[in-house]
Amino acid sequence: MILPLVALLVGLSAYPFVYMLYMSAHTYNLAQWTPPRYVGTANFVQMARDSTMRASLVFTGLMAGIALPVELLLGLGLALLLRGVVGERVWRSLLLLPMMIPAVVAGIAWKMLYNFEFGPVNYALSKFGLERISWLGDFTAARIGLIIIDIWQWTPFVFLVLYAGLQNVPRDLVESATVDGAGGWAVTRFIELPFLAPLIWVVLIVRLIDILKLFDIVYMTTFGGPGSATHPLSFYIYKVGVSFGWDVGYGSALSMLLLAVITLLTNVLIRILHIDRLLELERA
Amino acid sequence: MREGAQAVAKLVITLAVMVFFLFPVYWLVTTAFKPGSDWFRWPPMIIPQALTLDNFTGGGSGIYGGGGGTTAIENIVPYLRNSVVVALGTALISTFVAALAGYAISRFKIGGMPFVSWIISVRMLPPIAAALPLYVTFRLLHLLDTWWALILVHLTFTTPFAVWVLISFFNEIPRELDEAAFVDGATPFATFWRVVLPLSAPGLAAMMTLSFVQSWGEFLLALILTSTARAQTLPIYLGRYITGFRVAWGPLAAAGLVTMLPVVVFSLLMQRYLLRGLTFGAVKG
Repeated sequence: MILPLVALLVGLSAYPFVYMLYMSAHTYNLAQWTPPRYVGTANFVQMARDSTMRASLVFTGLMAGIALPVELLLGLGLALLLRGVVGERVWRSLLLLPMMIPAVVAGIAWKMLYNFEFGPVNYALSKFGLERISWLGDFTAARIGLIIIDIWQWTPFVFLVLYAGLQNVPRDLVESATVDGAGGWAVTRFIELPFLAPLIWVVLIVRLIDILKLFDIVYMTTFGGPGSATHPLSFYIYKVGVSFGWDVGYGSALSMLLLAVITLLTNVLIRILHIDRLLELERA
Repeated sequence: MREGAQAVAKLVITLAVMVFFLFPVYWLVTTAFKPGSDWFRWPPMIIPQALTLDNFTGGGSGIYGGGGGTTAIENIVPYLRNSVVVALGTALISTFVAALAGYAISRFKIGGMPFVSWIISVRMLPPIAAALPLYVTFRLLHLLDTWWALILVHLTFTTPFAVWVLISFFNEIPRELDEAAFVDGATPFATFWRVVLPLSAPGLAAMMTLSFVQSWGEFLLALILTSTARAQTLPIYLGRYITGFRVAWGPLAAAGLVTMLPVVVFSLLMQRYLLRGLTFGAVKG
């Protein structure tokens, strides 16, 4: 009964992986009529000297360093805030929207909001007497602009996981603490937060992996620009491997780097989740 | 009294936060109904004064009137068809394959921990990494620009996720039921088909919805593996229009609305079950 799954995954993920491993040691360009040529580690040497590649690491670092903590705090705050508020269920449903809407559609919405001449964001700034900002055209502003979009789109995910986690905090634990005279904040600080700790780790790693895969929003808003301000690694691989000339060899080498990082993160994730216990895999 | 004030304060903060999360959606929806003269206006029209359906029907004369194909979304139909076929195909196949595998893992512990870890790591695979090799392979197999190309690649990320969530759904169905069926002489497959599958219907429906949603919104692989209206999906249709200096916002927003509608409807309907899937099955103590 697992045969269809295994066939599917081997054919469509294990095979591409092996192919990529092979190609990363070759020069191969689909736009030229020459067969792949073995070049050893040349692609990786090129990578070490590649300034666009370094810019993409910087941008990824910024996303992870700024967007991630904000999402975590905001998501946690929302999870605590929304408990018992008037209309709790309605707000919770509406908060699903940013993460469910196809990224391409979200891109259209934000492109309109960030519009230099007519966008509501610059209009809001003007209300505070501030200058218009070229949100997608200025080096720093474009980076901040994308970070804001990421926060908008993925804080709801953090919220949902932590909100669901809070529902699972054993009631009797909270009650006995309250009886012992603990106030609302003490309950949160000493009982609920420790209970959420593993979930916070899960969220962090899942989001890190997502940030490394960032593509759709970048394509729809900045297209990596201006210059190489907003090139996440995935987008750079797309440019190298597809849109700027089908350089499959170098694209594969870049993919190897991306895969290495993601594999590392995934393994940490699997450890933290304790999937053997979670899925009751150990034989009874 | 103090509690009342606190409740009001909470509501006010909640409303303020909601503005940030909902305004982009609001802007998209209202723009889809604004006439051409209101797309570019300063100050921006926060509350639309006039509403029109021209952006959907293509009847608008607007600034971009006639030709160019950017005022109307009437040529959206083939893309809509492709999206429906691909997303439905992906949802059905991935749920079926995942249900089989999930049952085997839940009941017989096939492959154990290493196998499940592998499945999860496939889910985490960046699509761009698989896209290049698959492009080369699909070109050889003459699969480029077909529905199957997209269904197959979409299965690689929807199926592992469905397996992962379905295992815990199946775990919750009492084993005694299977055993009773066994004793009555049913084969494992018959047990699965007649006993377990009907009982896990909500889980299967949720996974089908989630697979549909993921496939429906997928952009990168569709961008690389398709090239014409024969197989291109809605997100690609939308992506084409975003590059110009001045974009026809109304029709684009209208097309965006059409693209997000099924996803929004599904996710609100299936919310209760989706939460479990979305939170990664991780909240189970």
